[in-house]
Amino acid sequence: MKTAVLGKYMPLNSPIHNLDPRAKIIAMFLLIVAVFVPQNYFVTLGLFAIILICVIISRIGFKYILQAFKPLIFMMFFLLVINILTVKNGTLLASIGPLSIYTGALSSTLAVVTRLVMMIMLTTLLTATTKPLDLTLGIEYILGPLKIVKFPVHEVAMMISIALRFIPTIIEETMRIMNSQKSRGVDFEEGKLKEKISAILSLIVPLFAAAFQRAYDLADAMEARGYVPGANRTKYRKLAYRFSDFVVIFFSIAILGLSIASRFVL
Amino acid sequence: MNIISVKDAVFSYDGTRNHVDGVSFDIEAGSYTTIVGHNGSGKSTMAKLIDGLLELKSGEIFVDGLKLDLEHLYEIRSRIGIVFQNPDNQFIGSTIRDDIAFGLENHQVKSEEMDALIEEYSRKVGLFDLLDKEPQNLSGGQKQRVAIAGAMAMRPKIIIFDEATSMLDPKGKRDVKRLMAELNDDNRFTILSITHDIEEVLQSDYCLVMNKGKVYMHDTPEEIFKHGAELKKIGLDIPFIAQVKEEFRKQGIKLKKNDLEGVAEELWQLNSNH
Repeated sequence: MKTAVLGKYMPLNSPIHNLDPRAKIIAMFLLIVAVFVPQNYFVTLGLFAIILICVIISRIGFKYILQAFKPLIFMMFFLLVINILTVKNGTLLASIGPLSIYTGALSSTLAVVTRLVMMIMLTTLLTATTKPLDLTLGIEYILGPLKIVKFPVHEVAMMISIALRFIPTIIEETMRIMNSQKSRGVDFEEGKLKEKISAILSLIVPLFAAAFQRAYDLADAMEARGYVPGANRTKYRKLAYRFSDFVVIFFSIAILGLSIASRFVL
Repeated sequence: MNIISVKDAVFSYDGTRNHVDGVSFDIEAGSYTTIVGHNGSGKSTMAKLIDGLLELKSGEIFVDGLKLDLEHLYEIRSRIGIVFQNPDNQFIGSTIRDDIAFGLENHQVKSEEMDALIEEYSRKVGLFDLLDKEPQNLSGGQKQRVAIAGAMAMRPKIIIFDEATSMLDPKGKRDVKRLMAELNDDNRFTILSITHDIEEVLQSDYCLVMNKGKVYMHDTPEEIFKHGAELKKIGLDIPFIAQVKEEFRKQGIKLKKNDLEGVAEELWQLNSNH
């Protein structure tokens, strides 16, 4: 749990760190769409190269990006198995009993995994180079126009911000409860399924009780400091676009455009 | 002049029994009052009632001349700052800077004025150099000091400390208690401290003892600690210094200081004079 990287901010000084969070969110969104559009390997490779360059510029390091894949390896393996079992295109490569592996299965798995890898790289790049608070602020600004249709933009942003703020606290709490239960003889690693379920329950029940208590306390603290959902508030942090932000958005639009065009031309 | 007046306050969490049962007291503006009592005596509930976080079943509360009702609720809240028990559960911002700004944003302080206020109050609690630190990188005492800075930045008249030192290590406790005393200097803020720390009573002007949802005693610490046997009966201890002073008082020697060094000095002087 301590090595979890997905969503963790890395305080460095790079051109990507210094971009406006809105520009980064918009660029990430456009690039993710771009990643899922092409059918051509060369275009996919080109997109992969662009993302790699972004990772280099961000200075967060490939080791950090690789760590982000750890929790997702199982999902990727699961996708691979499903694809092999269901896709029956191309030539037969091997047949073991009722299982047959076709070239089409391998190529489609490769395509899905490549897209997934690029998507994870992009999201990791965003969260590693943007402070949680800036990220929330960016989301609040981007969703701002939805206020016209009475969408509670600020409340949603506040919820995301509090959720992000409390992730380390909840992780700390989980570790504390786990250690406390271990000291009472609960084994979280060994044992039969029934014993493991019982061990997990001994963690989840106090964790939920503590989380609810925290929620009540936090609500009191927020109210005591004058917070009223939906009421007017001033803003301490304000965002302002710079020239570099427009350049990034422009290039992202151009990449998406080329990606869409490649589908029809190549 | 009274800044807080509680008249016949009654409150129940579940409707089966009154957790605050006909409580009445007044708090003088600029004073430092401690509220003590064993667990479940209703002292923390009282803090939440004064700030309107809980609703009275019956009775009235006046804060700075305003009756606590829906009409005046937010006005009253702007005059009260609260520091709660658990430092983790009241840290709202991602950094110290953002946490202090949270209350200012709610009270619609102009953005361009916020930096100066954040700087001023973070300096007062000795955290200016750590303004961009995240909560997980702070000690419990530092987090409580952030909460105090956040409360002070809203420029309230009253600061309520709801067992604010109970989860801190000895150093954190000392730091926060010293800060509480400093805040009360020159009567800048009225301090109301709900506490289990009986030693803290000695640094207050008045003490309110609660028992079973009722006011048991309300007087100066000196007078309160004259009733040692009664306090012990309801599960409260007597501070060591108060015990020493009481024993000397019985011998006809009146000591004025409330801290160990002060009492030792007084005794030394008495000894020298003889």
